[in-house]
Amino acid sequence: MTCIIDDMRLVTLEDVQAAAAAIAPHVVRTPLLTFDSGLTIKAENLQPIGAFKQRGAVNALQRIPSEDRSRGVVAYSSGNHAQAVAFAAKTLGIPAAIVVPENTPQLKIDATRAHGAEVFVVGITERESRAAELVEERGATLIPPFDHPDVIAGQGTVGLEIVEDFPDVATVLVPVSGGGLISGVATAIKALRPNVRVVGVEPELAGDATASFAAGELVRWDAHDRARTSADGLRAEPSDLTWAHIREYVDDFVTVSEDEIRDAVKQIARRTRVVAEPSGAVPVAAYLNRDLMGGPTVAVVSGGNIEPALLASILG
Amino acid sequence: MITLSEVRSAAAVIAPHVVRTPLLPFGPGWIKPENLQPVGAFKLRGALNALARLTNSANGVVAYSSGNHAQAVAYAARLHGVPAAIVMPDNTPAVKIEATRALGAEVFIVGITERVERAEALVAERDAVLIPPFDHPDVIAGQGTIGLEIVEDLPDVDTIVVPMSGGGLISGVATAVKSLRPDVRVIGAEPALAADIAESLETGELVRWDPLRRAETAADALRDEPSALTWAHIAKYVDDVVTVSEDEIFEAVGALARRARLVAEPSGAVAVAAQAKLGTGVAVVSGGNVDPALLARLLA
Repeated sequence: MTCIIDDMRLVTLEDVQAAAAAIAPHVVRTPLLTFDSGLTIKAENLQPIGAFKQRGAVNALQRIPSEDRSRGVVAYSSGNHAQAVAFAAKTLGIPAAIVVPENTPQLKIDATRAHGAEVFVVGITERESRAAELVEERGATLIPPFDHPDVIAGQGTVGLEIVEDFPDVATVLVPVSGGGLISGVATAIKALRPNVRVVGVEPELAGDATASFAAGELVRWDAHDRARTSADGLRAEPSDLTWAHIREYVDDFVTVSEDEIRDAVKQIARRTRVVAEPSGAVPVAAYLNRDLMGGPTVAVVSGGNIEPALLASILG
Repeated sequence: MITLSEVRSAAAVIAPHVVRTPLLPFGPGWIKPENLQPVGAFKLRGALNALARLTNSANGVVAYSSGNHAQAVAYAARLHGVPAAIVMPDNTPAVKIEATRALGAEVFIVGITERVERAEALVAERDAVLIPPFDHPDVIAGQGTIGLEIVEDLPDVDTIVVPMSGGGLISGVATAVKSLRPDVRVIGAEPALAADIAESLETGELVRWDPLRRAETAADALRDEPSALTWAHIAKYVDDVVTVSEDEIFEAVGALARRARLVAEPSGAVAVAAQAKLGTGVAVVSGGNVDPALLARLLA
C-alpha cells in the first residue's frame, strides 16, 4: 500500500531520537571537519552510499511491518535516495524497485544496480506515476524521497549529531531540494537549541523554496527549469509536509550561482580532503559568498556522488 | 620501546584537538581516514603529543619533514603559542609548503640530504627544541592512538595495514594493537620504489637505501627510512610487508575519490593499494595533501 499522510502532524524531536537509535548500526557517525576558522562541515558524503539519504531510508524501511516486507519497496529519485533505498533494502533483506529520471548521472544508476535493486529509467515528469504503478502491481511499500515522516525523522539525526558534537554552533546551513533534510534537521535543532539559526540554501537555478519562503506560500517552478542546475540532487520541490516544517522552523534562505557551487566543490576537496557533489557543496558556496554573519557555522555537505570527469575538470 | 600506557596517555592529551576519524567500509574491508585531520594527515597526533609534553618551549620548536609533519608541527605549535621553524626538502609539493607557511611557521627549503643538518643548526642557533618526524617516543605514542581507535571501533578486526616511511606510524599502531590484541595481524605497506623496510624485514637487519633511490616514488611522504628506535618496534611487532607499484598507488587514489569520497595523497593510498592485494583488513589512509592537478589527472 502507498503511505498516505492522513494529517499534517509535524515530526517531533522524539521521532528523530527514535530514528537515531534505529539507524545507528547502519550509518556512519560522520565527523565535523574544519573548513576554516568560521566553518565546519558535517561530512554526510562519507556515508557508505555517499549521501545523508541513507539515514531516512534505513529508518523508513525499519518501520515497515514485517508482514509487508516480502512484497518489497519502491522508490523514485534523482539518484542518492535511489541508492539509499537500495542499500537499506539490501541491508534489511527486502526486495527493491527504483524509478530514476533519464537525466540521472550514470554513476548513480550503476551504483543503485550494484546494491541489487531493479532499476527503471523514465522521463523526469513520469517518476511518480511509474512508481505508483509498481506499488499497485506488487503490493509494495512506497518509500518517497522526502514526503514521509519516517524519512524526515531519519534525516533529522544529522541535526542531533551537530548539536551534540558542536555545542557552540550558531548557524547551520542545509541544502534544500524536496526539503526532507532541512525539515528533519530544523526539527531537531530548534527543539534542542531554539537560538541556533537554520538557513536553507538552493542553487539560483532551482530557487523555488527560496521564492516560497519570500512569498510566504508554496511557489511552484516548472520541473524543466529546476533541472537546469548542475546540482542534480537539488531539482525536486517541497511537498506540503516538508513546506509545513520549513515554514515553522527555518530562519532564512539564500541562493548561490553555478560558478559558486563549482568553486565550493574545489575548496572542499582542498581544505577538508573530501569529495562533494555539486548538490553537497551548495551550503559551503553560501558560506563563501554570502554575508551570513552567523557566528560558528556548520554546513551539511549532503553528498559526494560526482562524476569523476566533472570533479577532474573542477580541480584541474 | 614505547608502551600501551604511553599511547593511552597520548590519546587523552590529544583528544580535544584531533578528529575521531570514523571507520568507513571500503572494498574488502575498512579504511581509517586520517586525511580528515585538520592538517590533512595523521602526523597531527604525534606532533600534538610531543608539543604538549615539552618542558621548555620558550625558544620555539624546529622540525624537518617531507611535508605533513611540517604542517602538523606548525599547527600544534600555533595551538600552544610556540614559534616554529620548519626545514623542508626542495622536492616537497608546493601545496604542502604553502600550507605550512599559512599556519604561521618560518619555512626553510633545502636539498633532500641536508634536512637534518639544517634543522640541527637551527636548534643550536636558537636553543630551540627539535621535534623529529618519527624518531621520538612521544611522536610514536601519538601516532599509536590510531591503533587504539581501530581496536575500539572494530573489535573483530583481524588485519591492519599501515603505510611505512620512517616507521613512526606503524611503531605506534603496532604497539597499541599487539598489546591489546596480539592475534591481530599488523601489515606494513610500502611503494616498491621505496621498499627498504620490506628488504630489512626479509634480511632481519636494517638495510639502508640511498635517499635519491627512495625519492623515485610518487608517494612523497614515504621516502624516509626507519631510525634505530622505529626499527626496534617494527622488528618486534610487524607481521609482514606488502609492496605496491606506482600504478597500484594511483589506482587506489582514484578508487578512494570515487568510492569513499576521500581525497588521498599517493602516500595515503599505499595501504589501500596493499589492502586490495590482501583482500582484507583495515587500511590506514594516512594523508590527503595531494596537488589538485595530480588528482584531476588521476580522475580524468
